[in-house]
Amino acid sequence: MTTRQSMMRLAIEMAIMVALAAVIGVSWNYRLLVNAWTGKGAEAPKAAAGISAPIPLPLGLMQVKELYDRKEATFIDSRDRVAYGSGHIKGAISLPLMDTATAIPEFGNRVPKNATLVVYCSGYACEDSIEVGRQLLAIGYTTVYYFDGGFPAWRDAGYPIARRP
Amino acid sequence: MSRDASRAKSGDQMQNPLIKHSIAIVRICLGAVFLYAGMLKIVDTTAFAGSIAAYRLFPYFFNYLVAAVLPWLEVICGVVLVTGWRTRPAAFMILLLNLFFTAALLSALIRGLEIDCGCFKPGAADPPLMAIGRDLVFMAMAGLVIWQDWRRSAA
Repeated sequence: MTTRQSMMRLAIEMAIMVALAAVIGVSWNYRLLVNAWTGKGAEAPKAAAGISAPIPLPLGLMQVKELYDRKEATFIDSRDRVAYGSGHIKGAISLPLMDTATAIPEFGNRVPKNATLVVYCSGYACEDSIEVGRQLLAIGYTTVYYFDGGFPAWRDAGYPIARRP
Repeated sequence: MSRDASRAKSGDQMQNPLIKHSIAIVRICLGAVFLYAGMLKIVDTTAFAGSIAAYRLFPYFFNYLVAAVLPWLEVICGVVLVTGWRTRPAAFMILLLNLFFTAALLSALIRGLEIDCGCFKPGAADPPLMAIGRDLVFMAMAGLVIWQDWRRSAA
């Protein structure tokens, strides 16, 4: 085989490997990809609305852990109650996005407005924590963060979690 | 035995068997590492997408696409290297992937992003410099495998 031929063959074989990985990977994660794709459509108007209203600030895992260890922040789980029940950051309060109409005013009566709040949901695919954080800012809380890694990042880091309230 | 065959055999024997077997071990180890890395990511695609998103290199959906496909590419390369069937494209692919990983890690380091590298287990806080060093070792291993493959086909 000439050099040119063997180069061609190498390129074709590599292309086949990539194509095979793409086919398996996309079909394996088909549902997730569809969700991510459709989620993108819903994200745009929210981002546009965020320019006028105050939005919570993102925090990374290390900063969140620091706040947690110093016990300076109240943690809020914005996922649904089932997800909360099957595992949440230890000490977090359940405040699902779908219940905010009643739960947020109640929360506002219980927790002082100068408290530091950290809202999280199920990670990067999830916007609920930002939305809940925005609503908390709207009723007068001033220090609201969202943890963008969410529960999966916390759990995978091996930090304290709890099941059931 | 024909003359050609015996010549080819003696060409193969020119290499010290110790070196030959060492390179085979390197190839299998490299394959196993990628097989392992790929499988860890396949188990939790969303977490891996999060790790990729933290690099802030791709638009939103693309993070998920890469998270869906890349682990399978790693697994395929790993299987191919371990079995030794079509070693060359797999070793080249790993070389290419590691070049890309190193570039991504360097860019994260330069931009001062405090992220976990997403190399193996999600949430593992490997320091980026260590991850870059590790990638360089993998590239050297892939280079060795490619060199051996080229040598044998030239002999």
